[in-house]
Amino acid sequence: MSAVVVSSVTKTFNQGRTDEVVALSDVDLTVGDGEFVSLIGPSGCGKSTLLRLIADLIPPSTGTVTVAGKGAGTARKEQAYGIAFQQAGLFEWRTVLRNVELPLELRGMTKAARRTRAEQMLALVGLEDFGGHYPAQLSGGMQQRVAIARALAVQPPLLLMDEPFGALDEMTRERLQSELLGICAKTGTSTVFVTHSISEAVFLSDRVVVMSARPGRITASITVGLPSRDDAGRQSPAYFDKITEVRQALRGAPLKTAS
Amino acid sequence: MRKVLYAVIGLAVAVALWEGYKVVGSPDGTVLFGVRVLPRADDLSMPHVWTVLDRLGRPELTGGRPVWIVVVQACLFTLGITAAGFVIGALVGLLLAVAMERFRIVERGLLPYVILSQTVPLVALAPLVAGWGGTIMPAWATVSVIAAYLAFFPVAVGMLRGLQSPSASGVELMRSYAAGWWRTLVKLRFPASLPYLFPALRLAGAAAVVGAVVGEISTGTRGGIGRLIIEYSREATSDPAKVYTAMLGAALLGLVVAGLVSLLELPLMRHRRHVEVVTL
Repeated sequence: MSAVVVSSVTKTFNQGRTDEVVALSDVDLTVGDGEFVSLIGPSGCGKSTLLRLIADLIPPSTGTVTVAGKGAGTARKEQAYGIAFQQAGLFEWRTVLRNVELPLELRGMTKAARRTRAEQMLALVGLEDFGGHYPAQLSGGMQQRVAIARALAVQPPLLLMDEPFGALDEMTRERLQSELLGICAKTGTSTVFVTHSISEAVFLSDRVVVMSARPGRITASITVGLPSRDDAGRQSPAYFDKITEVRQALRGAPLKTAS
Repeated sequence: MRKVLYAVIGLAVAVALWEGYKVVGSPDGTVLFGVRVLPRADDLSMPHVWTVLDRLGRPELTGGRPVWIVVVQACLFTLGITAAGFVIGALVGLLLAVAMERFRIVERGLLPYVILSQTVPLVALAPLVAGWGGTIMPAWATVSVIAAYLAFFPVAVGMLRGLQSPSASGVELMRSYAAGWWRTLVKLRFPASLPYLFPALRLAGAAAVVGAVVGEISTGTRGGIGRLIIEYSREATSDPAKVYTAMLGAALLGLVVAGLVSLLELPLMRHRRHVEVVTL
């Protein structure tokens, strides 16, 4: 079963008004179980909109979205996915631990169980010593790690990420990329990852989906398959070849392996 | 400790200004183009600070209780009225804010009237409310109603702003957790609104004191500090220090209310106290 199936989806904002915008036009996308898919494209190509459709934060104008075999709305109500945004968006009045507990709390998990789970999640992102801190006491990178721990807390089969590392510096970003890959490998989570960065998309993904703007649509789907995902992988020729391929796809140049 | 020191310094400056003006100011005040721009500095208009303090210790009337006891009792009476008005006003403001946040149409329809309510002169409203006294509620409660009428406004406006303060991503996050309106309110909007609520409550506290003092005067309710100011001011020509003792009491009442309201924040704003950032 596929983690996500988006079929013939169109999204039009402000339909029938003078400020009508076609954000997505006839989009089809399938994310396999355990697959890591990046959405990349220029600003306004609708990649965040596509992510929000999968998350059922907005409804599609036409077409259907299926998450783990269920409708997107049902999947959301069952908390079948975890989500993280560009801004960590932690609740500043809650401690780090209680932030991670939030989705568990809303699921009605008992206090002891959610505490144990939240501590595990914090350990996963290497912040087990900071459970009692408030978000304002942490650096941006640490806050983002808490947000990832929070997204993973319900142990969802699907992780949706909207430029989660966009506001971080290069070093922190690379470290978190490696951590994220480790976590996804460990938990077998499928991931849809929105990004601006070509190198980030290529390094993280099994598949990079390239989008173009006005109207937003998918123009290419590039399978990556690096030999390894570590520093050696970052320097391998395959890595640079794929970066070039994605860059060409973004520019709309002729493609070698469009599917 | 430092706060106490600053408070003492502030008090000393106020006394120095008062007494300093009495030294340099003209006893008849300063008149420019037929308008008195600075008050009279004679002992009848501005008694010495020590005269006022001395008056506090002497009996209200010959053989009666000392003035300070009368003033403190009046302040306590008004404090009760203020507290009732503050609580009612804060609750009404809170409910209005929640209703306005929940329904856009309520916000559009109600907010203009909420603002309009504060432009109605209190003296026009007081006789109407005073009429309720003794029939549907005790007389003192009518004063609380007037205090609440002034107090609800900052809470309604501030709280609405606070409830609308969470970022779109916070709201989306709650939606992704399948949290409905009520749980989003409890877990996200309400805690997020606290930094807006507390300044609003302080304003409401001050407004409730003003409402209670003015309300006592305009409804003719006996026993409070507002009434005492009026009573003592009738004796201002023969005993000018006396009315200032009552005003001192009213000022003290305002400070006490402000202090009590700010105590409310302490347990709820813990996360604001730590500021040291850890970098790793």
